[in-house]
Amino acid sequence: MPIIKVTNLEKHYPSPEKPGKTFAAVNNINLSINTGEIFGLLGPNGAGKTTTLEMLEGLTDIDNGDVSVNDINVKKNPYEVKKIIGVQLQSNEYFDRLNLSDLLILFANLYSVSIDPKALLAKVDLENKIHALPDDLSGGQKQRFSIACALVNNPMILFLDEPTTGLDPQAKRNLWNLAKDLNEEGMTIVLTTHNMEEAEYLCDRIAIMDKGSIIAQDTPQQLILDYAPEPNETPIHGNIEDVFLALTGHGLRD
Amino acid sequence: MLTKPQIHLASIFIKIFYRDRQSLFFSLLFPLIFTCIFLFSGGEPNPTKLGLVNQSQDALSFKFVELVKKEKTFLVKEGSESELKEELISADQTAVIIIPETFNQSPNPGKLRLLLDASQVRQVDAIKDSLKATLLSIERDIRNIEPMFSLQLEDVKSRPQRYIDFLLPGILAYMLMNLCIAGSGFNIVEYRRRGILKRLFVTPIQPKDFIISIVLARMFIILIQLSVILGLAIGLLKINIIGGLLPLYGVILFGAFIFLCVGFFLGSLAKTQESIRPLVLLFTFPQLILSGIFFPISSLPSFIQPVASGLPLSVIASTMRNISNDGAALFAINFNFLGIVFWIFFSFFIATKFFVWQKVAS
Repeated sequence: MPIIKVTNLEKHYPSPEKPGKTFAAVNNINLSINTGEIFGLLGPNGAGKTTTLEMLEGLTDIDNGDVSVNDINVKKNPYEVKKIIGVQLQSNEYFDRLNLSDLLILFANLYSVSIDPKALLAKVDLENKIHALPDDLSGGQKQRFSIACALVNNPMILFLDEPTTGLDPQAKRNLWNLAKDLNEEGMTIVLTTHNMEEAEYLCDRIAIMDKGSIIAQDTPQQLILDYAPEPNETPIHGNIEDVFLALTGHGLRD
Repeated sequence: MLTKPQIHLASIFIKIFYRDRQSLFFSLLFPLIFTCIFLFSGGEPNPTKLGLVNQSQDALSFKFVELVKKEKTFLVKEGSESELKEELISADQTAVIIIPETFNQSPNPGKLRLLLDASQVRQVDAIKDSLKATLLSIERDIRNIEPMFSLQLEDVKSRPQRYIDFLLPGILAYMLMNLCIAGSGFNIVEYRRRGILKRLFVTPIQPKDFIISIVLARMFIILIQLSVILGLAIGLLKINIIGGLLPLYGVILFGAFIFLCVGFFLGSLAKTQESIRPLVLLFTFPQLILSGIFFPISSLPSFIQPVASGLPLSVIASTMRNISNDGAALFAINFNFLGIVFWIFFSFFIATKFFVWQKVAS
């Protein structure tokens, strides 16, 4: 049962190279994300993942196409959509001089709900940091706190934008477990990532984006079967990174 | 009506300000410095330093010197031309009058020389006016005639009026403008640059909620800051607010709303912390000159007066001065009140319409 439906979605920005011209950051994409699944958007830098995610969240205006989240039209009612989703952004900056408890209570109030900050922090393993300032947290703790902020309204859908970028293996694994736990509680999760292992481990389905378009969309296992190179004389097991590189090429992107 | 998120966000902004000990210290330091300056100067401008060189032996020249000395607006020092000229160059004197040897002799019996430092523009007019009046009274003495007209100055409002009484409402209005623009314009650029605004706007709050909250919080903070100044002005400088404090606070609140909204607008126009400074200067500096803070608007060229009178700082400062000095009512339907109403709606419109919460690509 799809909870997010994306039809012919487009976003154009002024071209940095050709003045007066535009380029399509997101080019006519279609998606269907089911209730209760973990859905991953994969792509190299500048593929349009974050722009797509922000249009789904009602943060960026939609140029063309339609997005509905739990049958709410995002274009027409962005504020209604924001009430039922939780968003973890790439940047983790907060107001100065507010501790974790102050910040969680602030975000809860913006949804007009009451929360127990200690219980919410316990959920992300930060209950002993309740009086700490965000700047005092480590990278992994910051990401977990960022997810706690996204959970204040007990959302139906959680959006995670590159949640493990810059984290060490332990912090990464810890965050994956958190995402799995939340998903097992029934939360739909949509995430963007560069990390192939993460996509393979966490996601029920994956869409691979490049240059604003979706070039493949399926379960990780099916994508491996379809796109990973056949084993040669020395058998090597293909993985989703092979798929990614086969589809988007080996060249560096900025 | 205010919503729960708006009230909570406003309380958070007050909490952030209260926990920022440095800005708390400086916000109270400035009013103290301001009050001390006026306390030690007695609330009046210093008299103009005037050098007087009398090269004439004529009796009339001595009479002239006596009359100039009697002028309260002058602090007269007699001496030689070279000595006083040097003092004028080193800014120890504002002007020097030289009574030539040929004073009261043909062909130009009344010719005096006035040496000025042209950079002291403000004093030049004052010296010229006082000097003209003195010369006129001496001329009458010489010709032995009674003045045909005499002006006896009586304040119809029967109240003592000092320079500080004129100045304080304008200074308060000017401070109000600066505190508000700093509290909204600069903050918003920084919040946006760090992605804090974006984090707020993933929640269901709308730009108007955010603006109302920060306006409420800043109004509260500004009321406290201005209350400290007013308290010191009333207690130590013996300022009399004829119209009462309540209407004065009313104007302060309206002014705070207008300037905070303008600050949000400027903050949305500016892409960086560097570009917000010239934008703020572009808004505040002309108003410092044109809004009658230090000089009445009526002293400006006539073609610019209608524009100057309608500026937001002009309508706020004039209303505050009318309440403070003349006991005017806040809600009297006049040009200034209509100006305030216009700026309230216009500033809120531009603040919400052009509000940018995303990081702006430079």
